[in-house]
Amino acid sequence: MLLEFTLMNNTSLSSAMVHLPESNVNERIKDKRLPGDLAMWFFILAELTVFAIFFIGFAVAEQLNADMFVSSKAKLHPIAGLINTISLITSSLFVALSVRLLHLRKVKTSLYLLVISQFIACVYLVVKIWEYQFLFSLGIDIETNTFFTLYFLITFFHFMHVLLGMVILTILGINAYKGAYENDISGFESGASYWHMVDMLWIILFPLIYII
Amino acid sequence: MITLKQTIISWGLLILLTLVSAYVGQVIENNVLFIVSVLLIVFLKGQQVTDIFMELREAPKMWRMLLLSYAFVVPTIICVIYLL
Repeated sequence: MLLEFTLMNNTSLSSAMVHLPESNVNERIKDKRLPGDLAMWFFILAELTVFAIFFIGFAVAEQLNADMFVSSKAKLHPIAGLINTISLITSSLFVALSVRLLHLRKVKTSLYLLVISQFIACVYLVVKIWEYQFLFSLGIDIETNTFFTLYFLITFFHFMHVLLGMVILTILGINAYKGAYENDISGFESGASYWHMVDMLWIILFPLIYII
Repeated sequence: MITLKQTIISWGLLILLTLVSAYVGQVIENNVLFIVSVLLIVFLKGQQVTDIFMELREAPKMWRMLLLSYAFVVPTIICVIYLL
Protein backbone atom coordinates (compact mmCIF):
# COMPACT_ATOMS: atom_id res chain seq x y z
CA MET A 1 0.00 0.00 0.00
CA LEU A 2 2.78 2.32 1.03
CA LEU A 3 4.80 1.32 -2.03
CA GLU A 4 1.78 1.90 -4.30
CA PHE A 5 1.24 5.37 -2.76
CA THR A 6 4.89 6.29 -3.21
CA LEU A 7 4.91 5.13 -6.84
CA MET A 8 1.74 7.08 -7.54
CA ASN A 9 3.18 10.20 -5.96
CA ASN A 10 6.45 9.83 -7.86
CA THR A 11 4.55 9.44 -11.12
CA SER A 12 2.41 12.50 -10.52
CA LEU A 13 5.48 14.43 -9.34
CA SER A 14 7.51 13.61 -12.44
CA SER A 15 4.58 14.36 -14.71
CA ALA A 16 4.14 17.73 -12.98
CA MET A 17 7.85 18.43 -13.46
CA VAL A 18 7.62 17.60 -17.15
CA HIS A 19 4.49 19.63 -17.83
CA LEU A 20 4.89 22.66 -15.64
CA PRO A 21 8.15 24.14 -14.51
CA GLU A 22 10.79 22.49 -16.73
CA SER A 23 9.83 24.22 -19.96
CA ASN A 24 9.74 27.56 -18.15
CA VAL A 25 13.13 26.94 -16.59
CA ASN A 26 14.61 26.01 -19.98
CA GLU A 27 13.16 29.14 -21.55
CA ARG A 28 14.56 31.25 -18.74
CA ILE A 29 18.00 29.68 -19.08
CA LYS A 30 17.86 30.26 -22.85
CA ASP A 31 16.73 33.87 -22.34
CA LYS A 32 19.41 34.64 -19.75
CA ARG A 33 22.32 33.74 -22.02
CA LEU A 34 25.42 35.95 -21.89
CA PRO A 35 26.23 37.01 -25.47
CA GLY A 36 29.73 35.96 -26.53
CA ASP A 37 32.45 34.24 -24.55
CA LEU A 38 32.82 34.67 -20.79
CA ALA A 39 36.56 35.42 -21.18
CA MET A 40 35.75 38.41 -23.41
CA TRP A 41 33.47 39.84 -20.72
CA PHE A 42 36.25 39.62 -18.12
CA PHE A 43 38.56 41.34 -20.62
CA ILE A 44 35.91 44.06 -21.17
CA LEU A 45 35.63 44.59 -17.40
CA ALA A 46 39.43 44.91 -17.13
CA GLU A 47 39.50 47.46 -19.97
CA LEU A 48 36.65 49.45 -18.43
CA THR A 49 38.50 49.54 -15.09
CA VAL A 50 41.69 50.91 -16.69
CA PHE A 51 39.70 53.66 -18.44
CA ALA A 52 37.77 54.43 -15.23
CA ILE A 53 41.12 55.21 -13.55
CA PHE A 54 41.99 57.53 -16.47
CA PHE A 55 38.62 59.29 -16.29
CA ILE A 56 38.81 59.83 -12.53
CA GLY A 57 42.46 60.96 -12.81
CA PHE A 58 41.44 63.45 -15.52
CA ALA A 59 38.63 64.87 -13.34
CA VAL A 60 40.96 65.20 -10.32
CA ALA A 61 43.63 66.92 -12.44
CA GLU A 62 40.99 69.31 -13.78
CA GLN A 63 39.94 70.25 -10.26
CA LEU A 64 43.58 70.91 -9.32
CA ASN A 65 44.30 72.97 -12.49
CA ALA A 66 40.90 74.49 -13.29
CA ASP A 67 42.09 77.58 -15.21
CA MET A 68 44.62 75.65 -17.30
CA PHE A 69 41.99 73.02 -18.23
CA VAL A 70 39.41 75.68 -19.23
CA SER A 71 41.88 77.53 -21.49
CA SER A 72 43.20 74.26 -22.98
CA LYS A 73 39.72 72.85 -23.66
CA ALA A 74 38.93 76.05 -25.58
CA LYS A 75 41.63 75.02 -28.11
CA LEU A 76 39.81 71.77 -28.92
CA HIS A 77 37.27 71.49 -31.70
CA PRO A 78 33.91 70.47 -30.08
CA ILE A 79 32.34 69.67 -33.48
CA ALA A 80 35.12 67.11 -34.08
CA GLY A 81 34.18 65.46 -30.76
CA LEU A 82 30.51 65.49 -31.74
CA ILE A 83 31.21 63.94 -35.18
CA ASN A 84 33.31 61.23 -33.52
CA THR A 85 30.54 60.44 -31.02
CA ILE A 86 27.93 60.16 -33.77
CA SER A 87 30.22 58.02 -35.94
CA LEU A 88 31.03 55.56 -33.12
CA ILE A 89 27.37 55.26 -32.04
CA THR A 90 26.28 54.72 -35.65
CA SER A 91 29.05 52.20 -36.25
CA SER A 92 27.90 50.37 -33.10
CA LEU A 93 24.33 50.35 -34.46
CA PHE A 94 25.46 48.60 -37.66
CA VAL A 95 27.48 46.05 -35.67
CA ALA A 96 24.46 45.36 -33.43
CA LEU A 97 22.21 44.96 -36.51
CA SER A 98 24.83 42.67 -38.04
CA VAL A 99 24.68 40.41 -34.95
CA ARG A 100 20.84 40.36 -35.04
CA LEU A 101 20.88 39.32 -38.72
CA LEU A 102 23.50 36.65 -38.10
CA HIS A 103 21.12 35.23 -35.46
CA LEU A 104 18.50 35.09 -38.24
CA ARG A 105 21.01 33.26 -40.53
CA LYS A 106 21.11 36.21 -42.96
CA VAL A 107 24.89 36.04 -43.34
CA LYS A 108 25.23 38.10 -46.53
CA THR A 109 23.20 41.08 -45.22
CA SER A 110 24.99 40.78 -41.88
CA LEU A 111 28.34 41.11 -43.67
CA TYR A 112 27.18 44.17 -45.63
CA LEU A 113 26.22 45.86 -42.36
CA LEU A 114 29.58 44.95 -40.83
CA VAL A 115 31.40 46.55 -43.78
CA ILE A 116 29.25 49.71 -43.45
CA SER A 117 30.10 49.84 -39.72
CA GLN A 118 33.81 49.77 -40.60
CA PHE A 119 33.45 52.62 -43.09
CA ILE A 120 31.65 54.71 -40.46
CA ALA A 121 34.40 53.88 -37.93
CA CYS A 122 36.90 55.25 -40.47
CA VAL A 123 35.18 58.65 -40.09
CA TYR A 124 36.25 58.55 -36.42
CA LEU A 125 39.85 57.71 -37.39
CA VAL A 126 40.06 60.48 -40.02
CA VAL A 127 38.55 63.12 -37.70
CA LYS A 128 40.81 62.11 -34.82
CA ILE A 129 43.95 62.24 -36.98
CA TRP A 130 42.82 65.62 -38.34
CA GLU A 131 42.30 66.82 -34.74
CA TYR A 132 45.82 65.71 -33.71
CA GLN A 133 47.33 67.42 -36.78
CA PHE A 134 45.33 70.58 -36.05
CA LEU A 135 46.75 70.70 -32.50
CA PHE A 136 50.30 69.95 -33.70
CA SER A 137 49.98 72.84 -36.19
CA LEU A 138 49.21 75.12 -33.23
CA GLY A 139 52.44 73.95 -31.60
CA ILE A 140 50.55 71.84 -29.05
CA ASP A 141 51.82 68.38 -28.17
CA ILE A 142 51.83 65.90 -25.27
CA GLU A 143 54.32 68.01 -23.27
CA THR A 144 52.47 71.33 -23.55
CA ASN A 145 50.69 71.05 -20.19
CA THR A 146 48.90 68.57 -17.89
CA PHE A 147 45.64 68.83 -19.84
CA PHE A 148 47.24 67.96 -23.17
CA THR A 149 49.35 65.19 -21.59
CA LEU A 150 46.13 63.56 -20.37
CA TYR A 151 44.22 64.46 -23.53
CA PHE A 152 46.75 62.79 -25.85
CA LEU A 153 47.27 59.86 -23.49
CA ILE A 154 43.58 59.03 -23.03
CA THR A 155 42.35 59.78 -26.56
CA PHE A 156 45.29 57.96 -28.22
CA PHE A 157 44.76 54.95 -25.94
CA HIS A 158 41.12 54.96 -26.99
CA PHE A 159 42.16 55.42 -30.65
CA MET A 160 44.28 52.25 -30.38
CA HIS A 161 41.24 50.40 -29.00
CA VAL A 162 39.19 51.55 -31.99
CA LEU A 163 41.92 50.23 -34.32
CA LEU A 164 42.03 46.91 -32.43
CA GLY A 165 38.24 46.68 -32.59
CA MET A 166 38.31 47.26 -36.35
CA VAL A 167 40.92 44.50 -36.79
CA ILE A 168 38.78 42.12 -34.67
CA LEU A 169 35.63 42.95 -36.66
CA THR A 170 37.49 42.47 -39.97
CA ILE A 171 38.64 39.01 -38.86
CA LEU A 172 35.09 38.18 -37.71
CA GLY A 173 33.74 39.34 -41.08
CA ILE A 174 36.17 37.07 -42.94
CA ASN A 175 35.23 34.16 -40.67
CA ALA A 176 31.51 34.84 -41.23
CA TYR A 177 32.10 34.91 -45.01
CA LYS A 178 33.78 31.49 -44.73
CA GLY A 179 30.71 30.18 -42.88
CA ALA A 180 32.32 29.86 -39.45
CA TYR A 181 29.22 31.10 -37.60
CA GLU A 182 26.57 28.83 -39.09
CA ASN A 183 26.02 26.94 -35.83
CA ASP A 184 27.53 29.09 -33.08
CA ILE A 185 27.89 32.86 -33.30
CA SER A 186 29.39 33.43 -29.84
CA GLY A 187 32.78 34.41 -31.36
CA PHE A 188 31.06 37.05 -33.46
CA GLU A 189 29.10 38.29 -30.43
CA SER A 190 32.34 38.62 -28.43
CA GLY A 191 33.89 40.88 -31.06
CA ALA A 192 30.69 42.93 -31.29
CA SER A 193 30.60 43.34 -27.48
CA TYR A 194 34.20 44.61 -27.54
CA TRP A 195 33.18 47.16 -30.18
CA HIS A 196 30.23 48.34 -28.05
CA MET A 197 32.63 48.72 -25.11
CA VAL A 198 34.80 51.05 -27.23
CA ASP A 199 31.64 53.02 -27.98
CA MET A 200 30.67 53.16 -24.30
CA LEU A 201 34.12 54.49 -23.35
CA TRP A 202 33.78 57.33 -25.86
CA ILE A 203 30.32 58.12 -24.45
CA ILE A 204 32.09 59.01 -21.16
CA LEU A 205 35.16 60.55 -22.81
CA PHE A 206 33.22 62.97 -25.02
CA PRO A 207 31.55 65.06 -22.27
CA LEU A 208 34.57 64.76 -19.98
CA ILE A 209 36.99 66.28 -22.51
CA TYR A 210 34.82 68.40 -24.79
CA ILE A 211 31.72 69.49 -22.86
CA ILE A 212 32.24 69.86 -19.10
CA MET B 1 16.02 38.52 -28.62
CA ILE B 2 16.24 42.27 -29.05
CA THR B 3 14.64 43.20 -32.38
CA LEU B 4 16.04 45.29 -35.23
CA LYS B 5 13.38 47.93 -34.51
CA GLN B 6 14.37 48.20 -30.83
CA THR B 7 18.04 48.56 -31.86
CA ILE B 8 17.28 51.36 -34.32
CA ILE B 9 15.09 53.19 -31.77
CA SER B 10 17.92 52.90 -29.23
CA TRP B 11 20.36 54.41 -31.78
CA GLY B 12 17.92 57.31 -32.35
CA LEU B 13 17.78 57.89 -28.60
CA LEU B 14 21.59 57.81 -28.32
CA ILE B 15 21.97 60.38 -31.11
CA LEU B 16 19.29 62.58 -29.52
CA LEU B 17 20.98 62.39 -26.11
CA THR B 18 24.36 63.22 -27.70
CA LEU B 19 22.93 66.35 -29.31
CA VAL B 20 21.19 67.32 -26.07
CA SER B 21 24.42 66.92 -24.08
CA ALA B 22 26.24 69.17 -26.58
CA TYR B 23 23.38 71.69 -26.37
CA VAL B 24 22.98 71.90 -22.57
CA GLY B 25 26.43 73.44 -22.32
CA GLN B 26 25.16 76.42 -24.30
CA VAL B 27 21.86 76.74 -22.40
CA ILE B 28 22.37 75.88 -18.71
CA GLU B 29 24.39 78.48 -16.84
CA ASN B 30 24.14 76.88 -13.40
CA ASN B 31 27.33 74.82 -13.08
CA VAL B 32 25.89 72.16 -10.73
CA LEU B 33 22.80 71.61 -12.87
CA PHE B 34 24.95 71.51 -16.01
CA ILE B 35 27.36 68.86 -14.67
CA VAL B 36 24.57 66.73 -13.19
CA SER B 37 22.52 66.84 -16.40
CA VAL B 38 25.51 65.99 -18.64
CA LEU B 39 26.49 63.03 -16.44
CA LEU B 40 22.87 61.87 -16.19
CA ILE B 41 22.85 61.78 -20.00
CA VAL B 42 26.07 59.69 -19.88
CA PHE B 43 24.29 57.16 -17.64
CA LEU B 44 21.23 57.01 -19.93
CA LYS B 45 23.47 56.46 -22.96
CA GLY B 46 25.48 53.80 -21.10
CA GLN B 47 22.22 52.05 -20.20
CA GLN B 48 21.13 51.96 -23.85
CA VAL B 49 24.49 50.57 -25.02
CA THR B 50 24.49 47.96 -22.23
CA ASP B 51 20.88 46.81 -22.55
CA ILE B 52 20.25 47.07 -26.28
CA PHE B 53 23.53 47.09 -28.23
CA MET B 54 25.33 44.62 -25.94
CA GLU B 55 22.06 42.68 -25.43
CA LEU B 56 22.69 42.45 -21.69
CA ARG B 57 19.02 43.14 -20.92
CA GLU B 58 18.47 39.46 -21.68
CA ALA B 59 21.71 38.25 -20.05
CA PRO B 60 22.30 36.97 -16.50
CA LYS B 61 21.45 39.71 -14.01
CA MET B 62 24.96 39.89 -12.52
CA TRP B 63 26.60 40.86 -15.84
CA ARG B 64 23.90 43.38 -16.66
CA MET B 65 24.24 44.99 -13.22
CA LEU B 66 28.06 45.08 -13.50
CA LEU B 67 27.94 47.02 -16.75
CA LEU B 68 25.05 49.25 -15.67
CA SER B 69 26.78 50.05 -12.39
CA TYR B 70 29.88 51.09 -14.38
CA ALA B 71 27.75 53.52 -16.40
CA PHE B 72 26.36 54.86 -13.11
CA VAL B 73 29.32 54.77 -10.70
CA VAL B 74 32.00 56.32 -12.95
CA PRO B 75 29.91 59.41 -13.92
CA THR B 76 28.80 59.73 -10.28
CA ILE B 77 32.43 59.78 -9.04
CA ILE B 78 33.33 62.33 -11.74
CA CYS B 79 30.29 64.40 -10.75
CA VAL B 80 31.31 64.36 -7.07
CA ILE B 81 34.90 65.38 -7.96
CA TYR B 82 33.67 68.33 -10.05
CA LEU B 83 31.21 69.48 -7.40
CA LEU B 84 33.64 69.31 -4.45
